[in-house]
Amino acid sequence: MSRDACSTTPGHALQVAPPPVLPWICTSKWCDLGDAMTKTDAYFIRSSDQVPQRSLFKRYPVPHNFGVSPGSRIERGRTWRAPANATRTKAFEVYRYDPDGGKNPRLDTFEVDLDACGPMVLNALIWIKNNVDPTLTFRRSCREGICGSCAMNMDGTNWLACTRYIDETDTPAKIYPLANMKIIKDLVPDLTHVLAQYEMIEPWLQTKTPTPGRERLQAPEDRDKLDGYYECILCFCCTSGCPSHWWNGDRFLGPAALLQAWRWLIDSRDEATGERLDGLEDPFRLYRCHTILNCTRTCPKGLNPGKAIAEIKKMIVDRRS
Amino acid sequence: MERHRIQTPLGRAVGLGSAKSGFEHWWMERITAVALLPLGVWFAGSLIAQSGSDYRTFVAWLGAPVNTVLMVLLLITLFWHAALGFQVVIEDYVHSDAKIWALLAARFICFAAAGIGILATLGVAVEIWTAS
Amino acid sequence: MGSRKHERPLSPNIQIYRPQLTSVLSIANRITGVVLTGCGFILVIWLVAAASGPDAYSQFQRIVGSWPGLLLLLAATFAFFLHLCGGIRHLIWDSVRAFELKQIYASGWTVVAASLVLTLLSWVVGMIIAGQN
Repeated sequence: MSRDACSTTPGHALQVAPPPVLPWICTSKWCDLGDAMTKTDAYFIRSSDQVPQRSLFKRYPVPHNFGVSPGSRIERGRTWRAPANATRTKAFEVYRYDPDGGKNPRLDTFEVDLDACGPMVLNALIWIKNNVDPTLTFRRSCREGICGSCAMNMDGTNWLACTRYIDETDTPAKIYPLANMKIIKDLVPDLTHVLAQYEMIEPWLQTKTPTPGRERLQAPEDRDKLDGYYECILCFCCTSGCPSHWWNGDRFLGPAALLQAWRWLIDSRDEATGERLDGLEDPFRLYRCHTILNCTRTCPKGLNPGKAIAEIKKMIVDRRS
Repeated sequence: MERHRIQTPLGRAVGLGSAKSGFEHWWMERITAVALLPLGVWFAGSLIAQSGSDYRTFVAWLGAPVNTVLMVLLLITLFWHAALGFQVVIEDYVHSDAKIWALLAARFICFAAAGIGILATLGVAVEIWTAS
Repeated sequence: MGSRKHERPLSPNIQIYRPQLTSVLSIANRITGVVLTGCGFILVIWLVAAASGPDAYSQFQRIVGSWPGLLLLLAATFAFFLHLCGGIRHLIWDSVRAFELKQIYASGWTVVAASLVLTLLSWVVGMIIAGQN
């Protein structure tokens, strides 16, 4: 987390004035590191909100249009220069697609006046829409990282645009929609299939016991088991970043749906555990997960889908032995 | 295996339903992996110990009953693990009608390799045992 | 619904997604696994050569002992240790341990370091023993 953004954003509190070079200490709740951040932190990631900074490659050494269908090939778009009076500007390369234009997707470059917009990538996108190109289309709602609407791929990793600082992005910042999604327009992905996969795991309480007259009882220890799983905002950053879902997304459920499947499996009030496991135990639905763990690395809420899937696999072992 | 059907999103996600299996493959991959840990370490260690040795030394080493048994076990476990791994790789990347042939070929080749290797090992071992 | 000129495009995936320790080590585990299967076939050829008599065996030894053969052997050794250490990491995950991001990264770098060290060690020891033989 950058020092400048940290000191200007509400909720952040610097205990010690940062020296010219690291280390420094931040006690904000946003960065749950809480202790000294050193250069090695770039290699030893401790929290998913650490922006990837040290990569040998910024992308896999595959051709730019590797396996891309002709209709999905990205062409060069236009460049929009910053207004003349802007002093601090930054270039944003944004994926654009117009469904009514009949053309291929393209990459437009926008020079954004950083002094005229807020600190987050979403602020920059809104500035572009308000001041440069009103046709730029993206989903957004809460602007605080809880609704999951603005999930997109920034500099190669999926995150929420409203909680990604601009000065943590590359120059030029590369803004793409969520990876491996059918695109409705610009940065708006078609979530129909992933939501159908979520619906398929039946994310509701299923009981055979008649509804009790009072509330369904749950011990605090059992309620604690849901922590880390119920908080999912269904942004689909994880599913979109899973290579297994890229290659087998039609049949593999993906980390988001599986995390929620686990949430219902360990809910002590649920009585359909056997049927849920029957529905999951499939070479494709569950077992396409090879513990790649891109999901845990990219979750904007700091959840752990990889662990949830491992727990599901363990539950399947347990019910057989 | 293209399916161009008019389906609801849920219908498309459900597909052909859950196979209700897949555990056995996952489990055997782990079992063979655990078995390969000591066998692999033994093999690597033996290879290093056999560096630069000539034909007679190597054949005498292989003919020792312990090494023969371990080599046979290594071949079985290695090619079993390989066959399982290859099945996963093919299922991941091959989606056309060629998938079933690729799966068969992978399994048959691993079987054949294991069989040939075991026979060769036993051939060397029998020769050593009958010579002594 | 209206007429659509063509299907909705698919957003880029592997073309733009950033390689991270998680995905890179995972694909490395897969690639080394495939490579090791190839080495398994060479192991079988070696055993057949041993069973076929000293002439066939010395021919095999000459091919492996040549410098391209030794180079491939070095690569195979590294692949073996990377897959071994990566496999242990996978087995630990299967027991639902070490899933925190901190542990994922620590274990990942450990796998890389251990593989390099073990490869180096095994080759140094092997060359010493070969020198003695």
